[in-house]
Amino acid sequence: MNTSILKQGPYLIAILQAGQSDSDLLQLQETLLEQVGRFRSRGVILDVTLLDVMDSFATRTLRGIAQAVSLRGAETVIVGIRPEIAFAMVQLGLDTRLSGVLTALDLEEALAILNRRCREGMCRD
Amino acid sequence: MAEQTNQDSTKSLMEEIGITDREIANRCAFLELGEKDIKELLGIDPVAEAYADPVIEDFYKHLLNFEETRVFFQDRQVLERVKRAQKQYFARLTRGNYDKDYIEDRLKIGAVHERIGLPVKAYLGMYNFYLRNVAARLFDEYKNDREKALRAFLSLLKVVFLDMGLAIDTYINRREQLIGKQQEAMRELPTPVLRVRERLLILPVVGVLESYRAHQLTEQLLESIGTTRAKAAIVDITGVPVVDSRVANHLLQTVSAARLMGATVILTGLSSQIAQALVAIGVDLSQVKTTVDLQSGLEEAERLLGYRLVPAGDKARSDQLHP
Amino acid sequence: MTDVVQITVRSDADIILVRQQARMLAKELGFSSSDLTLIATALSELARNIVEYARQGEIVLSQIRQGSRRGITIIARDRGPGIADIERAMLDGYSTGKGLGLGLPGAKRLMDEFEITSSLGQGTTVKATKWAR
Ligand SMILES: Nc1ncnc2c1ncn2[C@@H]1O[C@H](COP(=O)(O)OP(=O)(O)OP(=O)(O)O)[C@@H](O)[C@H]1O
Ligand SMILES: [Mg+2]
Repeated sequence: MNTSILKQGPYLIAILQAGQSDSDLLQLQETLLEQVGRFRSRGVILDVTLLDVMDSFATRTLRGIAQAVSLRGAETVIVGIRPEIAFAMVQLGLDTRLSGVLTALDLEEALAILNRRCREGMCRD
Repeated sequence: MAEQTNQDSTKSLMEEIGITDREIANRCAFLELGEKDIKELLGIDPVAEAYADPVIEDFYKHLLNFEETRVFFQDRQVLERVKRAQKQYFARLTRGNYDKDYIEDRLKIGAVHERIGLPVKAYLGMYNFYLRNVAARLFDEYKNDREKALRAFLSLLKVVFLDMGLAIDTYINRREQLIGKQQEAMRELPTPVLRVRERLLILPVVGVLESYRAHQLTEQLLESIGTTRAKAAIVDITGVPVVDSRVANHLLQTVSAARLMGATVILTGLSSQIAQALVAIGVDLSQVKTTVDLQSGLEEAERLLGYRLVPAGDKARSDQLHP
Repeated sequence: MTDVVQITVRSDADIILVRQQARMLAKELGFSSSDLTLIATALSELARNIVEYARQGEIVLSQIRQGSRRGITIIARDRGPGIADIERAMLDGYSTGKGLGLGLPGAKRLMDEFEITSSLGQGTTVKATKWAR
């Protein structure tokens, strides 16, 4: 299963699918990093609305993406962590592992955050 | 004092209260109520039969002397019926066979009295009056064998105490059921989630936050953030009397989960005592936005949302600031 | 209505399958949607540990009914290498691999009851139960 990646101006938006396997996620990481370089993107939005679970592995991978993306000069925002998933993540102890990553309720909000940070010069120009 | 109930419940009172065969045996053993006593009691059964009526008459005269017990026997017909039932109740004391049926019967009688609101002290007072009267009659009957009178009386005492224990259990059982129901009702008492303006929620939490309610609060807050797309939520705990480490940790988890969703939770109304207590038990609230009161919480939230708070009279100026 | 399901896990696709199965079983028992997510998450951790450390194993899901109580029990067992130090494996942040070390302790927090037995060279078994509220 291939994750769809949309290009929206200077940003990339990846919509993760339900029933996404571990290898799909690792594949996504590669593709995203490659595209960030190719399009000189300033931000990456990871939309996780459709995921049924955010376990240790998924969290670690998303955090890895965010860290790698930031090394390439772009910001990452995770969007769409649903209430019950957020609660489960906290119970697992995953919340502190994502403390360096930006989160937003929806795409609109995520775009607003990225725009603001770019205006404030926090991402590459 | 005794009135049979016809109420047919699917579950026996014994089951409800948790009295098993073993428990009955335990109680009898503790009271040292055994075969000898049963024989002793069966031995005085004819005597008891004979003194039943006069004892009952004295008994009700006594009850009618007190306002507290008189109110239960206002109606003459009721009084007559109760007297008959009472006679049966007393008669049963000296008939042996203190088995399951006996226990269930005693529990039912206790439950009826609990239901009509007879206080426990009156219940005990009535046993006391009964025992004193019977003692007098027994010693009178066995003038020449005071030993026997004493033995019989002591055996009777055991059965009566068995009964008293059962009666009190029915009262306790009812209270426990009541408490359970109230707790249930408390649980269902939801914390209102107020949407004060676009993307801002306020949750005024009132009352004790035991773990069930704390859990519910979390679910409610997170759900509401999801459905209203709120960016900020103020949880006001001014009305929460105690915050222990468990509740504090629960609040911390809630704040953290909200952040994962992309919203900020502001905790307000943390009294200085509670704040000190939390520091003392080592709860780390440094990652949480806290403000002294609701007002400053609101100001913080408005800042987060990018609004500017202006006094009501300054509307014109604020419009200029935000064209 | 099936109340026991047994699934062999050896790939990450199987992990997705067991999560779906568990959701279905738990839903029948009246678990709330947030509890379903907690169960699925715990299961995901246990199944992933099997695939990662033992290569293969099995998951047994069973519905339990005790009086008016309803619950779901997860058994995750494998004949893999086993865990040398269970106490440490249950600590937050302890991982012999490149994981976050949250799978086991986290799964314990997500469930109501949790037991783990393991012996070196023999394999590992985790039994965890969650009760419907
Ligand atoms: N089924 C298993 N067989 C053998 N060893 C295991 C098994 N499950 C866990 N372990 C050992 O216990 C350690 C802790 O497991 P745990 O799931 O808590 O963390 P992790 O798998 O390392 O990281 P995470 O689950 O956060 O990605 C693992 O690193 C591994 O050494
Ligand atoms: Mg693991």
